[in-house]
Amino acid sequence: MSRKAKNAIGTTIRVIVLVFFFLLVVLPIYWIVITSFKTSGEILDVNNLTFFPKTFTWQNYTDLFEQFNYGVLLKNSLLVSIASALVVTVFSMLGGYSLARYKFNGKQAVVLFFLITQMIPGILVIIPLYIIFSKMGLINTHIGLFIYYVTVNLPFCVITMRSFFERIPITLEEAARVDGCTKMQSLFKIVFPIMFPGIVSVFVFGFIGAWNELIAGSIFISTPEMWTIPVGLKTLIGKYNVEWGLLMAGGVMALLPTALMFAAMQKFIVEGMTAGAVKE
Amino acid sequence: MKKKMEPWLFLLPVLVILLLLFGYPLINSFIMAFQNYKLTAPNDIHFNGLDNFAKLVGDPDGLMILKNSFVYVIVSVLGQFLLGMTLAVALKKQFKGRGIYQSIVFLPWAFSGFVVGLIFRWSFNGEYGVVNNLLEKFGLIDKNIAWLGTPGFSLAVVIIAMIWMGIPFFAIMILAALQSIPTDVYEAADVDGCGTIRQFFQITLPYIKPTLITTVLLRTIWIFNSLDLVVIITDGGPANTSQTLPAYMYSKAFGSYDFGFAAALGVILMVILGIYAMAFLKLTKYDKAGDF
Repeated sequence: MSRKAKNAIGTTIRVIVLVFFFLLVVLPIYWIVITSFKTSGEILDVNNLTFFPKTFTWQNYTDLFEQFNYGVLLKNSLLVSIASALVVTVFSMLGGYSLARYKFNGKQAVVLFFLITQMIPGILVIIPLYIIFSKMGLINTHIGLFIYYVTVNLPFCVITMRSFFERIPITLEEAARVDGCTKMQSLFKIVFPIMFPGIVSVFVFGFIGAWNELIAGSIFISTPEMWTIPVGLKTLIGKYNVEWGLLMAGGVMALLPTALMFAAMQKFIVEGMTAGAVKE
Repeated sequence: MKKKMEPWLFLLPVLVILLLLFGYPLINSFIMAFQNYKLTAPNDIHFNGLDNFAKLVGDPDGLMILKNSFVYVIVSVLGQFLLGMTLAVALKKQFKGRGIYQSIVFLPWAFSGFVVGLIFRWSFNGEYGVVNNLLEKFGLIDKNIAWLGTPGFSLAVVIIAMIWMGIPFFAIMILAALQSIPTDVYEAADVDGCGTIRQFFQITLPYIKPTLITTVLLRTIWIFNSLDLVVIITDGGPANTSQTLPAYMYSKAFGSYDFGFAAALGVILMVILGIYAMAFLKLTKYDKAGDF
């Protein structure tokens, strides 16, 4: 076979593969979006499944806000996610800096400890925490949930932040020190600005981790005015009756912020995810 | 002296949080595993030796749940790995619009298990689901299948959802590893007349092996521990046939409030994961765990 023919076949296969994955991702998303714009009559019309809404309606979305108080869920989710992501970001910057820039006894042990925390099933921590939080009056409070989200998202973010620091040559910091900057000045004026995309992507990790979480939320939170989005929406799944229209609209609304963040920050997020695992 | 304390000072907040909110509860869990600890009987909490573990052995569903967990983890990891690798290889060469394409195809990474679970639960719905509808249109089945109500099928739906959700992570990791391979290695292989397939097995795979090991290890553990898809899509049903270990823990702890039994399940889960991690690192000769 000639080289040209070989290349042509290669390109064709690649295009087929790329189209396949595109459809694989897009079609399920299309389906949830399209369902959210159907009337409940159309959703439950067994004999006539439509691939585009016959009657396009915003009803599910308005119901979500007016009857299901989605605004409250949104506020709660934003509050807990942003607060925990901020704290995670600051603490990871401190911890990551330490692991990247210092040699000290016990460093390996600390890294190992972080890795082990990644192996622990969340539910095994949630069970005793439920008892501890009950005693401290933190059940059904956003503070309890916030504390939990900070804890579970920290280890990964510290490790990621370390890799971001490691990519910045230490000589840059040293040069700033020679020029008369204090340690803090060299960090805030030189290092952090260069690392800004990395810092933002760690924030995104923290945010998404909290925003998407269901299990701890549904255990720690019990009253509707405290629900986060997944916790509230889950109550729409009854044993015999599922409110599909509302659920799909709620699902779309829950995906939007994280999807937009990801689309906007894709390059940096990907860098953050791979920074630790792929050595160049 | 001050210099010596500096790194620890920076790490202090993280370590305090993790020890207090990860370490301490974990110790509690281990103690609880050997206790009769039911939230429904708060005045009757006492040590009961290995009773909780015996309960699992006596549980008629125990073995099935363990088997489900293994099937779920192995098939999911394998599926994500193969599909993720395929996608990564296809993405390696630059093309116009690759950035936008990646923003779309990697999206499921940012999605919550909760919503992904909803999407699949809805699509595989026995009466109104689009999957049955399409299969009938193509003449593959002639009457609706109750996917979520049939043993075997219900677990399969959970696995499909898990694979769908996890492809991007694998693709992202493998793609990054592929892009770190210097191109001159391939050029040299070309000159030597080494074919595409041989290049893949003799250059590409060895190069990306460390990344593959890390990714498979971390993902296996993560998938083993994740329970939101099971909870949302099937809730373990029908009759526990799609139940996995952590989801079962969840239902034991917060359905029947048997914290002792749930904790015992958790201890078993951790032992399995520990053995797995050690065996995996040994077998792949990748002992430098502190490196990633």
